Amino acid sequence: MPDSGTWRLRPGQALAYRQWDGEYVLYNNLSGDTHLLGEAAIELLLALRNGPAAREALAAALQAQFDFGDADPLGETDELLLRLKSLALVERFAC
Amino acid sequence: MLTVAALSGRELRARLAGDGLAVRTGPFSTLIRSPIEPLAEGIALLYGDYPLLEEPGFADFHVRLRRSGGLRRWYRPQVHFDVDGLEPFEPLPEEHAFPMLEWALNWCISTRAHSYLMIHAAVVERDGLAAILPAPPGSGKSTLCAALVNRGWRLLSDELALFRPEDGLLVPAPRPVSLKNRSIDIIRDYVPGAVLSRPVANTTKGTVAHLKAPSASVARAGEPARPAWVVFPKYEAGAATSLEPIPRARAFMRVAENAFNYSQLGARGFHTLGGAMDGCASFDFRYSDLDEAIALFATLERIAP
Repeated sequence: MPDSGTWRLRPGQALAYRQWDGEYVLYNNLSGDTHLLGEAAIELLLALRNGPAAREALAAALQAQFDFGDADPLGETDELLLRLKSLALVERFAC
Repeated sequence: MLTVAALSGRELRARLAGDGLAVRTGPFSTLIRSPIEPLAEGIALLYGDYPLLEEPGFADFHVRLRRSGGLRRWYRPQVHFDVDGLEPFEPLPEEHAFPMLEWALNWCISTRAHSYLMIHAAVVERDGLAAILPAPPGSGKSTLCAALVNRGWRLLSDELALFRPEDGLLVPAPRPVSLKNRSIDIIRDYVPGAVLSRPVANTTKGTVAHLKAPSASVARAGEPARPAWVVFPKYEAGAATSLEPIPRARAFMRVAENAFNYSQLGARGFHTLGGAMDGCASFDFRYSDLDEAIALFATLERIAP
């Protein structure tokens, strides 16, 4: 789990996606893969479309839109970022 | 427009054994050359409705099915499939020549027709709206397709859904429907007067026979159709007929898994399939009784655009 850091979209990521009934399919133009994603993942990617962002800011953005219940928003955001990293959609950004 | 049926048996065989028989199947033109009698017999039986091409040199696919040379041809004759100098399949016993032609034509299209997004699926149409039936072998796709096209639906294809990226429509390429094993007798019973090729046993797919495509479907091969439903069929002996909706994003992923060239087309494939799924309702469909299956297909409703 990352304990700090800034994240960005992988350079060149076009974020081509379609949405139906709260589920998303996203075409990753960098890998050629297509991913089935939930709303939070897409929100996070769209937040990064405007430029690199700190994990805390991303967690706050998600918290404003989704009910995390008892879960830790920062921990959930970290987990999501790592998953998106494993799909070659985002990467850590060294300032 | 001349069709294959305009040729006498002798003329057909002379063309096949000579410069070739050039036929149009939907958007594709094929020049077929072969001296092998079981192949000529199958073409005479199942390809009578297809237009002949008078300029065979411009055919999309030039295929040749030839006998083994040397001594082999005398003690266990085999048939070889060549396309443009390549031989992509192992040779097969000569009596397998007609199924081999069908597999060869599918191979030609699925490996070359990249101007379309190609899905391994049957496609049938009624009232301008198409149902796409993607499924792996053994799912009962072809049996269901054969039944539907003999009960009011138009055959676009038993094997290949061809999405045209420019407008998202499905382009027909109706050809004989491939039936395997028990499905042969099921369809023979279900379709009075069904025209079927001679069953060929011991192929890699078991016993195989091909059902003639309805003449009306071949005559309308130039009319594309709008995709309206994606139905994943699954035959299960004794199963009650059931239709379960699938969320569209999940259906998208499953259709893409059944594509021949989704990855090759990249973003174009994604947007083509996405556009199609915008207008499609998707279902898992289980059936065991063809009459019930046909009745249920008649109730499919288009989703609101």
